[in-house]
Amino acid sequence: MTVIVFDDQKIELESGQTVLSALLDRGYDIPNSCQAGACQTCMMQVVEGELPEKSQSGLKDTLKAQGYFLACSCEPQTPLSIKVSQAADLRSQATVVGHDCLGADVLRLRIKPTGTFDFYSGQYLTVWKSETVGRSYSIASVAKRDDYVELHIRRIKDGVVSNWLHDEVKVGDELQIQSATGSCFYIPGTPEQNILLAGTGTGLAPLLGIASDALHQGHSGDIHLIHGALTVDDLYLHQLLIDMASQHSNFNYYASVLKVEQVLPPVTTESLQGTVLAVADDPADWKVYLCGSPEIVGQLKKAIFLAGASMKNIYTDPFISAHSS
Amino acid sequence: MSSVYDRIGGEAAVDKAVDIFYRKVLADDRVNEYFDGVDMDKQANKQKAFLTMVFGGPNNYTGMDMREGHKHLVARGLNDSHVDAIIELLGGTLADLGAAPSDIQEVADIANSVRDDVLDR
Repeated sequence: MTVIVFDDQKIELESGQTVLSALLDRGYDIPNSCQAGACQTCMMQVVEGELPEKSQSGLKDTLKAQGYFLACSCEPQTPLSIKVSQAADLRSQATVVGHDCLGADVLRLRIKPTGTFDFYSGQYLTVWKSETVGRSYSIASVAKRDDYVELHIRRIKDGVVSNWLHDEVKVGDELQIQSATGSCFYIPGTPEQNILLAGTGTGLAPLLGIASDALHQGHSGDIHLIHGALTVDDLYLHQLLIDMASQHSNFNYYASVLKVEQVLPPVTTESLQGTVLAVADDPADWKVYLCGSPEIVGQLKKAIFLAGASMKNIYTDPFISAHSS
Repeated sequence: MSSVYDRIGGEAAVDKAVDIFYRKVLADDRVNEYFDGVDMDKQANKQKAFLTMVFGGPNNYTGMDMREGHKHLVARGLNDSHVDAIIELLGGTLADLGAAPSDIQEVADIANSVRDDVLDR
């Protein structure tokens, strides 16, 4: 059993229990969302003691050096004294400059951060509704091209943040955001390499960001983007992607739709996985980006790897839903 | 004396070997139930450490790691037949990379030396 000190209280952790789970059990309102070490919403800071390596996995070096860690991934083996992170260090302001509905349930939110805000297209940032409630969204815009940061927000049934962003937030409002993170983004240096991007739902946001970034940086290899959807109504950027394909000879767009009456290219009734394997029939030297539903991302990852893609060339961003608590 | 690790081309060759070997185990019905549904990146890292070890490269693998790391699989029925299959796929991987038969035998011998640890005997 390990003891942690928080808020002047000694708290005993059961074996295998995380710091986040112990604090929530005690009734502390610690910000958290994915509880899987990805969204970084539950970042806290160590006062004294040794952090397990896993609890700092994925954090920027500057944050690691300041003793920041993720409470959801922290199972300390030795006593630890911790505090809530100084929100001001991590959060910044942004102004809403665009608020449009795309299709049935996706909001295209464009924000302009105050001051410098570094990111790669395809990374995700956290939007805070309050001190303790925040959700992560992926970036679809390109830093050097656009003077805003674009996020796609699907309305989640009973979703506290998504419904607030859809219904209450408007152009001109100030939002609190947190620095961008994640390793799913375009890496320059091999402009002739073929790129495959596939995903479901608003997994399209990072895929669009990565494709746009690649094109903006002069990528010359083929870029294939496949959006998997249940119905054509879910193809919320259909026309934009068709236009992108007609403007760039090396950009190709396919929509794999499960339930559809009229099949016209780029729409196909072939499954997402079938389309992926047909488009990338020899992916040995391709770069592959997979985003969206964790289950589908996992299936596609295995399929494309077995088809010949190298493990080190596959980048994934499974969208993990917020834990309800 | 140089090792198989050096002769096949060091770390870069091991990276290639991981892709080939992992594809073989996922496609092999004798063993793939033990590899399905796990985090693929973590699994690839473990395989890299394992392949580096059996190729005689720089590693920190211990018998204890092999024992602890496979206990939950032994509980699910992991036995000699599975170890035999893995050693066979390991040989196939090396053959795909163009390794000499004597090197394949050397790697099989190292893999065999940890058999009792893997099977917790």
